[in-house]
Amino acid sequence: MPNLFTLVLQIAVILVVCRVVGGLFRLLRQPRVVGEMFAGILLGPSLLAWVAPHFSDYLFPPSSLGYLNAFSQVGIVIFMFLVGLGINPRELKGQGHAAVLASHVSITAPFVLASFLALYLYPRLSDDSVAFTHFALFMGAAMSITAFPVLARILAERNALGSRLGTVAIACAAVDDITGWCILAYIVTLIRAVKSPTPIWMTLGGIIVFAVIMIYGVRRLLRWFEIIYTERGSLSENLMALMLLLVLASALCTEALGIHLLFGAFLLGAIMPKERHFVRYVLDRFETITVTMLLPLFFAFTGLRTNIGLLKGAEMWVYCGLIILVATVGKLGGSMLASWLAGMGLREAAGLGTLMNTRGLMELVILNIGLDVKVISPALFSMMVLMALVTTFMTTPLLNAICPIRIAPKEPAGAEVAVAQLSMKSTDTSAA
Amino acid sequence: MGRISPANRTFVVAYILLVGLPLLGLVGVLRSGRGLVAPISVDGVWKFVTDGPNPPAGMCGKSLASIQDSLVTISQSGSRLTLTLNNGSTATGSGVIERTSLNATVPLSWQPMNEPGCGSNTVVMLSATVNPKAEARAMQGTISVNDCASCSTVNYQALRQTRSGRSEAH
Repeated sequence: MPNLFTLVLQIAVILVVCRVVGGLFRLLRQPRVVGEMFAGILLGPSLLAWVAPHFSDYLFPPSSLGYLNAFSQVGIVIFMFLVGLGINPRELKGQGHAAVLASHVSITAPFVLASFLALYLYPRLSDDSVAFTHFALFMGAAMSITAFPVLARILAERNALGSRLGTVAIACAAVDDITGWCILAYIVTLIRAVKSPTPIWMTLGGIIVFAVIMIYGVRRLLRWFEIIYTERGSLSENLMALMLLLVLASALCTEALGIHLLFGAFLLGAIMPKERHFVRYVLDRFETITVTMLLPLFFAFTGLRTNIGLLKGAEMWVYCGLIILVATVGKLGGSMLASWLAGMGLREAAGLGTLMNTRGLMELVILNIGLDVKVISPALFSMMVLMALVTTFMTTPLLNAICPIRIAPKEPAGAEVAVAQLSMKSTDTSAA
Repeated sequence: MGRISPANRTFVVAYILLVGLPLLGLVGVLRSGRGLVAPISVDGVWKFVTDGPNPPAGMCGKSLASIQDSLVTISQSGSRLTLTLNNGSTATGSGVIERTSLNATVPLSWQPMNEPGCGSNTVVMLSATVNPKAEARAMQGTISVNDCASCSTVNYQALRQTRSGRSEAH
């Protein structure tokens, strides 16, 4: 049984620290999520356990962390559903060469550069229980992800959602996220298959069958949610409960198939109807408790696993610097070069590259999966968390430097706009 | 068949150069990386069993006894190790592994026993040889105390119990 006093105290402290630090980062014109990520690190061994070890042991005794993790995982499952709900790959249609090339290059460039970096890091930061192929593929997937919700929020703040830069960036981020999660699902399947008695072809076959059933079967049934919403202007509590039940069922299916809970939640969100008002309505119902309470728990749990003290010596900081450099050159440089070659202006192309380099919470989700399946070591995990923080933090100031003039707003359309607009409703419920 | 417009030609060339070629490079990287050798894995929870009397004779015997028959969690990042004693003290130390040779130190600052000549500056040193070919990973070596001629040196064997270290916080 959990110690309820400890658990409630933990939640209270985490909420206070995340609100305060998130608020301070808002003053620096940063998305709140960057501050909350930073707050998580402050609560872990990198600061609290270092300066006040006894208080840290009292507040976060190891025996209590399982419950904290369980809460945070529930939050992440719902959050991944909301991320899937907000993205719409159809947005890529009609965007022309720039979007197609930029979206594909923004995956391949960081992926390949990260795999080259893996040649250097594998003997230094991994061990022989991890196959090089798994290590390199994971590094590639982790570096090629984009934080779709943060990107949408930054664009909304700049009134740039309807601009060419905005629409191309949203389309690219949607494609990136879907591709990135598919690649990650494949990698996790490979890693888990090594220790599983089930043959990998059976696991992969099961996943494909599940995906086909979801996309061509369940998707049609999900349209009823939108039809009922259009007729009545709202969904009953029973229907909302049914939707949540479907999220959990889909998550459990992918977990049982040998990948991860989060893939099922993401897939269900991705195949939901994308009508703008419907998406906004569903987000409105789910987001507040998820973003204000459950996600900070995830940030804190991630912070408790992040130990910057493991980066001892100049050598380790050089590795960390290399990771940040490769992640930035691959994502920012790759997207910028591709969109420039496809006909975008240099300034606009640089803006797109900067936006695509935002990693935010999505990166933390992937890194936690990597640490859970033991494909990355604790020190590498800490370096990658720092990379996620730095690349997310640099987005707003870089964008201000590259595109200082606010782009005139146009009428935006699409489900992802609902994500951003909802985020704009209140700084307190900013999407992560 | 119509002619390809200059814009489309640029797109196709750029796509081949920026997407196709890098993917070929990825295949090359994955092939060449197979030959890389990473440090032996010692990550996980280890059960230490020491030889001889408990507590060991000589100075710092009680301190060494606290490691005897206890569980030690090793967290590994490449060749760098972090050791945590699960004997109620949660004392942590650091170490390295080079090929099959493991060396680590754990400060006794947590030790409440206040043995004479065994103060807070005392450091327990572990050295061991890991047997990578054993079905369950095992190691054997010695535990000693630094700068202490009259302290005991204890031989030990250790067997890895689980590899759960990385999935937990702290």
